[in-house]
Amino acid sequence: MSVAHRIIENTPFFGSMFRLEDNELNPINAWPALMSMTCFIWFTIAVILGWTMPAIQFLDLGSNWYYQNITLHGAAMAFPFAFQLMVAMSIHRAGGCLGKRADGPLVALFYIFMNVGGLLLTLAVLAGFHVTYTVMFPLPVVGVQTGQWDMWVLILGFTGIALVLISMILLYPIQILKMAFFDEKDENLQLAERSLNDPGMMGMVMGVLVLLVVGTPLLMVAGSLLLHLYGILPASMIGWAAKPVVFEFVFYIFAHNLMEAMALMVIGAVYATLPLCLADGARKLYSDRIAQLALWILLVTSLTSFFHHFFTMYPALPSTFAYHGNFMSYATAMGAALTIFTILATIWKHGIVASPALMLMLGGFVMYILDGVSAIVISNVAWNFKLHGTVWAGGHAMVVLIAISAIWMGMLYYHYPLMTNRIINDNLARKCIKYFFLAYIGLFYTFMAAGAAGMPRRNGAWESDWFIWGALMLVFGAGLIYAFYLYFMSLTKSRALEF
Amino acid sequence: MIDFIYTTGWGAFIVMLMFQIPFLIVFFSIVNKKAFVDSTPGKTEASKYSSTKWAWVGLTIIAFIVVNVASIQYMPTVIEAGTGNAKEVTVEARSWAFDISDTNLRVGEPVRFSATSADTMHSFAIIHPDGQQIFTMMLMPGLETANTLVHTFTEPGEYIVRCLEYCGIAHHTMKTTLTVASN
Repeated sequence: MSVAHRIIENTPFFGSMFRLEDNELNPINAWPALMSMTCFIWFTIAVILGWTMPAIQFLDLGSNWYYQNITLHGAAMAFPFAFQLMVAMSIHRAGGCLGKRADGPLVALFYIFMNVGGLLLTLAVLAGFHVTYTVMFPLPVVGVQTGQWDMWVLILGFTGIALVLISMILLYPIQILKMAFFDEKDENLQLAERSLNDPGMMGMVMGVLVLLVVGTPLLMVAGSLLLHLYGILPASMIGWAAKPVVFEFVFYIFAHNLMEAMALMVIGAVYATLPLCLADGARKLYSDRIAQLALWILLVTSLTSFFHHFFTMYPALPSTFAYHGNFMSYATAMGAALTIFTILATIWKHGIVASPALMLMLGGFVMYILDGVSAIVISNVAWNFKLHGTVWAGGHAMVVLIAISAIWMGMLYYHYPLMTNRIINDNLARKCIKYFFLAYIGLFYTFMAAGAAGMPRRNGAWESDWFIWGALMLVFGAGLIYAFYLYFMSLTKSRALEF
Repeated sequence: MIDFIYTTGWGAFIVMLMFQIPFLIVFFSIVNKKAFVDSTPGKTEASKYSSTKWAWVGLTIIAFIVVNVASIQYMPTVIEAGTGNAKEVTVEARSWAFDISDTNLRVGEPVRFSATSADTMHSFAIIHPDGQQIFTMMLMPGLETANTLVHTFTEPGEYIVRCLEYCGIAHHTMKTTLTVASN
């Protein structure tokens, strides 16, 4: 029994959702199951913290609680939950489709770095490191200078962030590239052969390359700062990295493309799973070539559309880059348009079996497109000056994570029988999808409308006009929590497969 | 109408709905039909798929060109280029206050705001008395030149100035007002 297997066995409640059988597929099942289990522990904490944010305002508990919870909620949702779930699903899929082991030192290191990093950051936030989930450098340092938090808290927080970044930018991409191009194939592990030309696999490889390429500069900058904080590098050697303009640009180039890489992966996941659920058993997309073209358009256009994060910095961001960012952001929508066409044409041509796995993935895809429209609207230079800094922008970051998570959670439904030899509770899963989608729609339009009305994001003291939006956030947030409860129950109440 | 679309958050909201609603209708109709009503393979000819594809792509391109071309006249840099003499107002943001050279402005008078940050990331956002955001400028410390934006107020009133980039535990207290008098 592997370490991953033993940890799952010994974890109460969450362990029961992912209990494994000791069989020959353990090399592709054990670590993805452990990661899935762990990410749902983070998810539970993150969801409760997210719901408490409007509650804190209604109960007038103070801005410090609000800033603490927004930091913890955002960090936990984005990294140990959504990213870790994505890693679990993608190494599981790569293992089963390529016949490669999804375990080994890199996978174990990823798991340790991501979760220990997340824990260190959590401890730092609880000790006062309230920076929210996007690091607005040099706030972490200014916070020490102005007595908002201590130096040791900054070092602890930065150490946690560094571990998380290493896991995302180096360990995970190298593991996928190793599986795709280098590791030896084990015929016993290959369950459904796919080549790297398959759009589903292609999206995954593109995504990890994006992370590796655009993330490495951030690792160098953040690493230099951390080595200085440890006392290893003198200030004279890290002056370049400490400039806000350097840090912020490498940060946003990475953070923006992290979301785009996750988008490439989820679209790849839909491309991979949809053909397996066709009513006529055709097991193919309407057109692999159009699907590949959509991925290429998304890849090329998203890389430099990150300029839209800096539109309101004229003339520090020259207007030519602003127009470029505007154009590229809208061009990403061409990739999305082709993806929508491919998915609908496939469904129309072959019909679908409405399994909970596919319906949750398609629901997640709809959420992703709705959010994408809100993103391209705010990527227009004229509208950006009206909406940047409002809840529209903050809501976009949040709901894109929910949309991506829905697709991965749907994919987990699909992988679950293979992983655990059990099938999910169908009734609870269908109920979950209904609540999930309705709550998402409510929450999405609440955020967008609140932003249009001028409610600022990340503000710890709400004014009276904003409480109507807060009330809607509480209601729809409660709906989402109920949907997630149903999701957990659909796994907990799964039953053994009968052969 | 076009002014409303491009100068208010609600205008952006309406445009967003104009893209989303047709998508929702088409997506759910097809999924519902092929999942629950009749999941047998569609008998549509191959040429129809092709023409639908090109119509869909063409429509998307046209919609995006129209939306963006119409927005050009509302881009702050274009407005600034078309403005003659403007009153100069300097702004320095620091945790957690604004130092504004003149807070008494007039309706119809173009104002060039030149803003910098002294310590960490801040923003300089002006909020209409009705609560809607007129514009925001992201202020990054350490830049060699100030961020600039020209705006002409069209209505008198007390406008709120607020920082919209999270800048520490008292971020929410970082606000002040501008008074705009009728001309």
